[in-house]
Amino acid sequence: MNKKIISIFFLLIIFISITLGYSYYISNSNEQQYNSPIQTISDNNISEEIDETFIEEDDEIEIGEMV
Amino acid sequence: MKKILTLFIMLMIFISISSLAIADDPEDENETEDENEVGDLEIDNDTEKEIEIMNNSLGAEIRLLQLQKAIIKNLLQGEMAVEVLKALEYNTTSLELILSDMKILLEDVKVVNTSSNDSVQLFVELKYEAKNLTRQFREAIKELLDGEKLNEIRERIREMVSEEIQNYSKQIRNKIKQFNRNRLYQLYGIIGEANNSFINEYLNGNITLDQLKYHLCKTINHMNKERKYEIFSEIKKDNIKKKINAQASIDNMKNSGKGKGHSKGK
Repeated sequence: MNKKIISIFFLLIIFISITLGYSYYISNSNEQQYNSPIQTISDNNISEEIDETFIEEDDEIEIGEMV
Repeated sequence: MKKILTLFIMLMIFISISSLAIADDPEDENETEDENEVGDLEIDNDTEKEIEIMNNSLGAEIRLLQLQKAIIKNLLQGEMAVEVLKALEYNTTSLELILSDMKILLEDVKVVNTSSNDSVQLFVELKYEAKNLTRQFREAIKELLDGEKLNEIRERIREMVSEEIQNYSKQIRNKIKQFNRNRLYQLYGIIGEANNSFINEYLNGNITLDQLKYHLCKTINHMNKERKYEIFSEIKKDNIKKKINAQASIDNMKNSGKGKGHSKGK
């Protein structure tokens, strides 16, 4: 019985370690994103920001159809 | 011994659940909150996006003109539908009442001062009311006619050409061009070099907005990494500012207990 308890205990420790490791990895990768933006800027990012700066000339407001 | 084993299993389950809760991405929670906040105010995503440019009077003018155009378009369509129904000897009193409310609404939109602080709030309320009246008209006409006749009227409406709407379209397009020109000057200010001939070409209609955007992207992409990052950050900062201003306007509406519709004529 003691062996069973010890093995469950070890499993528990392994499980917690994996979970903590995963959460540390997630928070670390988020930080990395904020700390090194130069690496993450692509041509697409610039194009998206430029798109947001302007209004399309055929832009319209939708209020629905009458019929 | 069995008790100890059960306790261990319970402990394991408890710790696993709490660890998973810690590891869970907190962004999901924020997204749900945002949706709820907007939902409470009945401001849809399109409206939220539309008010982003209303922090200056030209932006507000564009949005209010676009709203006027949308209302006029629906008014003309509604009037045409009423004419058809009258010819078929239907009772159109309820539809005409909705149209007269819409005309009052149009006048309300026309008199909004684009420079005033409450133009955003008025825009949201008037747009909400325009959508509401359109829905009422649609539902009322559905009660009078069957699907086939409705399709016939839809066809007639599609063929409708209005000089008034075309004039509005021209006016809006010119205002948008002015707005984009101002944005372009701002961008050139950030980039540090201005291409006046390019701006004039755009204003004269010799190059399209897409070509203009392409040219800007190309100019930025040819710069070194640091400069590119600086420019990108500045543009992003401006875009985030617009979103913050829009959100602040929504929060103001929420705090003042408004934003649930313009109640004129009700």
